[in-house]
Amino acid sequence: MVEWFFGYLAGAVILLAILVVASRNPVHSVLWMLLMFLHVAGLYLLLNAEFLAATQVIVYAGAILVLFLFVVMLLNLREEIKIRRFTGGWLFKGLTALGIIYVLRRGLEGFRVGFEGPWSIEAVGRATHTRALGQVLFTEYILPFEIASLLLLVAIVGAVFLSKKRLR
Amino acid sequence: MNEINVSMLAPLLPEVIMASAGILVLLVELVARRKETAGLLSIAAVAVAAYYVPHSFGKSFGGMFVSDGYSAFFKFIFFINLILTVLLSMRYLVIEKSNHGEYYSLVVFSTLGMMLMASAGDLIVLYLGLELMALSSYVLAGFIRHDARSSEAAVKYFLLGAFSSALLLYGITLVYGLTGTTDVSLIGAAVVEKGLSTPLFLSVVFLMAAFGFKTALAPFHMWAPDVYEGAPTSVTAFMSVGPKAAAFAAFGRVFLTGFGSLSTDWTGILVVLSILTMAVGNILAIQQDNIKRMLAYSSVAHAGYAVLGIIVGGAEGLAAMMNYLFIYGFMNLGAFAVVIMLRSEGVRGEALEDYKGLAKTHPFAAAVMLVFMFSLTGIPPTAGFIGKFYLFKAVVGAGYAWLAVVTVIFSAISAYFYLRVVMYMYMLEPEGEAVTLSLSPSLGLALLITTLVVILIGVYPSPLLSFARLAAG
Amino acid sequence: MQYYLLIPLLPLGAFLLNIMLGRRVIRRQAHWPSTLAVAGSLVVTVMVLLDVMSGRTLNEDLYVWIVSGNFKVSVGFMIDQLTAVMLVVVTSVSFLVHVYSIGYMQDDPGYYRFYAYLSLFTFSMLMLVTANNFLQLYFGWEAVGLCSYLLIGFWYEKRSASDAGKKAFIVNRFGDFGFGLGVIMVFLTFGTLDYVSVFDGAGGVAAQTINILGADVNLITLIALLLFCGAVGKSAQVPLHVWLPDAMEGPTPVSALIHAATMVTAGVFMVARLNPIFSLSPVAMDVVAVVGAVTALFAATIALVQNDIKRVIAYSTISQLGYMFIACGVGAFGAGIFHLYTHAFFKALLFLCAGSVMHAMGGEVDMQKMGGLKRYMPLTYWTMLIASLSISGIPPLAGFFSKDEILWVAFNGGGVGRAVWALGTLAAVLTAFYSFRLIYLTFHGEFRGTEEQRHHLHESPAVMTVPLAVLCVGAVAAGWIGIPPIISSVFGVEDANWFAEFLKPVVGHPEIEAPHSTEALVMGFSVAVAAVGIAVAWVFYIRNREIPAVLARRCGILYRLLFNKYYVDEIYNATVVRPAMLIARYVLVGLSDGVIIEGVVNGVPALINRFGARLRRLQSGLLQSYAAVMALGLFLLMAVVVMVLK
Repeated sequence: MVEWFFGYLAGAVILLAILVVASRNPVHSVLWMLLMFLHVAGLYLLLNAEFLAATQVIVYAGAILVLFLFVVMLLNLREEIKIRRFTGGWLFKGLTALGIIYVLRRGLEGFRVGFEGPWSIEAVGRATHTRALGQVLFTEYILPFEIASLLLLVAIVGAVFLSKKRLR
Repeated sequence: MNEINVSMLAPLLPEVIMASAGILVLLVELVARRKETAGLLSIAAVAVAAYYVPHSFGKSFGGMFVSDGYSAFFKFIFFINLILTVLLSMRYLVIEKSNHGEYYSLVVFSTLGMMLMASAGDLIVLYLGLELMALSSYVLAGFIRHDARSSEAAVKYFLLGAFSSALLLYGITLVYGLTGTTDVSLIGAAVVEKGLSTPLFLSVVFLMAAFGFKTALAPFHMWAPDVYEGAPTSVTAFMSVGPKAAAFAAFGRVFLTGFGSLSTDWTGILVVLSILTMAVGNILAIQQDNIKRMLAYSSVAHAGYAVLGIIVGGAEGLAAMMNYLFIYGFMNLGAFAVVIMLRSEGVRGEALEDYKGLAKTHPFAAAVMLVFMFSLTGIPPTAGFIGKFYLFKAVVGAGYAWLAVVTVIFSAISAYFYLRVVMYMYMLEPEGEAVTLSLSPSLGLALLITTLVVILIGVYPSPLLSFARLAAG
Repeated sequence: MQYYLLIPLLPLGAFLLNIMLGRRVIRRQAHWPSTLAVAGSLVVTVMVLLDVMSGRTLNEDLYVWIVSGNFKVSVGFMIDQLTAVMLVVVTSVSFLVHVYSIGYMQDDPGYYRFYAYLSLFTFSMLMLVTANNFLQLYFGWEAVGLCSYLLIGFWYEKRSASDAGKKAFIVNRFGDFGFGLGVIMVFLTFGTLDYVSVFDGAGGVAAQTINILGADVNLITLIALLLFCGAVGKSAQVPLHVWLPDAMEGPTPVSALIHAATMVTAGVFMVARLNPIFSLSPVAMDVVAVVGAVTALFAATIALVQNDIKRVIAYSTISQLGYMFIACGVGAFGAGIFHLYTHAFFKALLFLCAGSVMHAMGGEVDMQKMGGLKRYMPLTYWTMLIASLSISGIPPLAGFFSKDEILWVAFNGGGVGRAVWALGTLAAVLTAFYSFRLIYLTFHGEFRGTEEQRHHLHESPAVMTVPLAVLCVGAVAAGWIGIPPIISSVFGVEDANWFAEFLKPVVGHPEIEAPHSTEALVMGFSVAVAAVGIAVAWVFYIRNREIPAVLARRCGILYRLLFNKYYVDEIYNATVVRPAMLIARYVLVGLSDGVIIEGVVNGVPALINRFGARLRRLQSGLLQSYAAVMALGLFLLMAVVVMVLK
């Protein structure tokens, strides 16, 4: 049963991702992405990570995508034009992608899950997911957390700099 | 480990200094009238951080962060890279009409990312450091906003970089699934215990591809020529040394500590990649008539040499690689400094043609360029020879005599395009108007440092050698 | 004792200063840095000499450049008695030549270049003699060769000068090829290039043989002979002597310094330095002695009939170098070095006097156009006369003691010793003769030049004559530190051969068990024959000046043979140069233009280029295709992994 759910969600995520890049209308792209984020949230739920699933919906689907939509509409983008130079060789590229999938499938046949850490599903359930996540994030993973904050800072600086209107 | 206290930051003191400096530079940029102040501030911060590097050895955050000789050596490469880049940039940014203080802040943050990569004892920290480094470089690559080439470089670098990040994450995920940990030394223990399996090896391949992207190993090097050519020259100089060295630092630690027990299996692949890289880099460099693009391919080729250190493995191989990267940093930055010197208002100075008869019009610039070209070729008594010599020695010592021969052959091919620059400068007559040099005190200082170090290491290499040997453990 | 480093470093600094600032800044003051530097080296050398005399020798690696297993490239210094002697010779003669050149090169447009090269040469020569390993020796060896080449061709606008430079360079290639092979053989045999380690190990391989083309050759003999090849080239011994006379195209101070006192003696120094190797091979020792003796006589005969004043002295140099090799060949390395040391003074003096004469004669070198110069330049005359007496071996001048010691050890040398002694003594007669022929032709009789030249005749300025006077003191007294017991005992000093005693720790000293009466006889004989040589020259060129012409007519074949230097140049031309040119022109050019060189030099890059052009098409600038290439690479890697591991 779980496998079927996973299969549906994963397949949908891939398909939707392709639609995001493939659709010509930017507004459609954004909407496909919204759908995709919801499916990703579904994947989180499947992993008993209800807090992450909720965050995914609230932050990505709720906040970020709305912003995207605003930008796309403000910019008044028209339909993308199709240039042969950019779309050629899809057969070769597609075959490569299929090849990678096939090889991964064959290669991962012998996949055995390694040592389990202290946070088994039961342990997470006992502590409740949100609490467990918070505890780990702010103790064990405090350093990556702080680095991530710097990462966001750089992203903001970069975005502001690159989009500043006035060139001095 | 639930206790968090300030003392845990002790080994991270240089990183904390750099992070503070990055933010401080951003603030100073707002008030300072001369943007060079921001640059000087970043150099000062590096000086302080460098002072604390040898005083901050130790592990912290449960082994996620490791400050040891190995990371210290690489951090010095990053510091030198930052200092020289800032010196190169001050006048160059004015010429390019992009003199903004954010530049220096981004350089500092990027260097911080590299430092975290070199010290990463955990794949998560490694990934975040890499992203910090990369994100800053994406912005830097597109720093000249009014230049389409610069923007194009930034977009290409960003998209392909995201692709490589995905590969890295996929590899990390597989490793985590197989071993239950992201700690590099614990991974090493788990790998020893579980032995070789196809999924594990696939994860190794993913990581190899990701590191191959950052170090520009063929066939993951495709971005390098376009990005290096399009990016501002000072940024190209920065990117061709720092991020490459940082990626090698992580590459070495992950592969030799984490997957060291499988080295007999993955060295074969690396040998193929190395030869392919040397071939692609050197052969395509011959084709170029733009000196930035030529140096981009040369940088690809040098990655092919440096990776030999990981193939050899052990302290010997790592020391040879570190040595090589250190030397490469100086000679490459020096060569880019000359390229920048030829860039002046309205003149790009990137075409090989611009170097015609440089020895007649600007004998000093030509002589300095000659030193760097000789060093990049590996002609004694320049530092480049020392780097190659010890690399070859390590390769031969590890029983790969034939690989050393292949490397020497490609090295000989590389002489063709490096010495062609020399030929243009010394044997051809200047054409048309003589290029004007835009020499500033800071650029002059950078040139002086790089030239002196390249020659000094060439004639007196033992301090560097023993430092690298000590740092490699 | 670290201050010894100043000895080579000062001239190096002067070289850098002159080569960088010479043309624009220093210009006519170029002599200052170079001369002061070498003066400084001289002072430090004296200090080092005092140190060594008080028994403080030194051998240390100053710094190691690269190490790979046993192979080590390092700069190291070995300061011992032998080095100290060489340092004294090099720095003192070099200093005097520097001073002399201030006058001689006065108006030359390449003034700064000249001093730069001179400093570079001094530096290289000092590095050569202070080396403590073969590689440094080899580098010094090549570096002095390079300087010599640069200085011979100093007036490169002059065709003959640049040709002579090239000739010196190419002829030396032959010798250096052997020398290089020798160094490689040393490394292969001993696994190290360090002098001390090699010398320590030499005894252990003395009996080893190596099979070459079916013949068993003693390893040490092979190494010694290969190394000796280099000495033959550098010290202009037969059959590679042809470059030295032509080298006289260079400025005369250069001839005095490089082609008389120092560089050409590097071969002798090398043999003496490597005496532990040479001593182990009787065959090689005999070869050294015979080559030396043959050269001594051979060059002396040619010198008899030459008219070019500098070439006479050049052949005399070759001949005297032969004496030094005689000494080395019979195991008396100390005697060889002793002669090297005295020779440096009187030969440099001869050259500088010749330079002084040429200076007065407006560059004239033909002795037949000189004569009677004694009146115009007395100081030059007297100093040159003393130098000639010294080289002829007239007691108590320097040349007497050193030459006598060589002949005496050769006489007692056993094996080829007697024969070598006979050749050497014969050469001594000729030496006296041609030296005084030069004196008589140049300074006595009537002036035979043009009126204009006569009008111009003058003594050289003090800056040139003072070095002459100083060297003259050396030519007289330099030998007094090596007086054989047989003479010193007359004055009540039992052992006055301090020089041999001084060098004994490094090169040993052959013990000769022979009665004093024999020694006196041999000594008296060589002095007597020298006197005869001088007397004959007097008869020929002062008393009865028709004799030379008559003789030349009578013995036409012999005269022409000597006059044309045994046609060696012509023989080489016919057997080596022409065929080489022919091969180069027809075979190589013919083959290569179409096939080999074209194929390799143009073909490989073209191939790479074509391949590169194809590769380049991949670099389309398209993001999508870059990603595709990366993905393909990833796929291939993964596929290989999966296939191999399955």
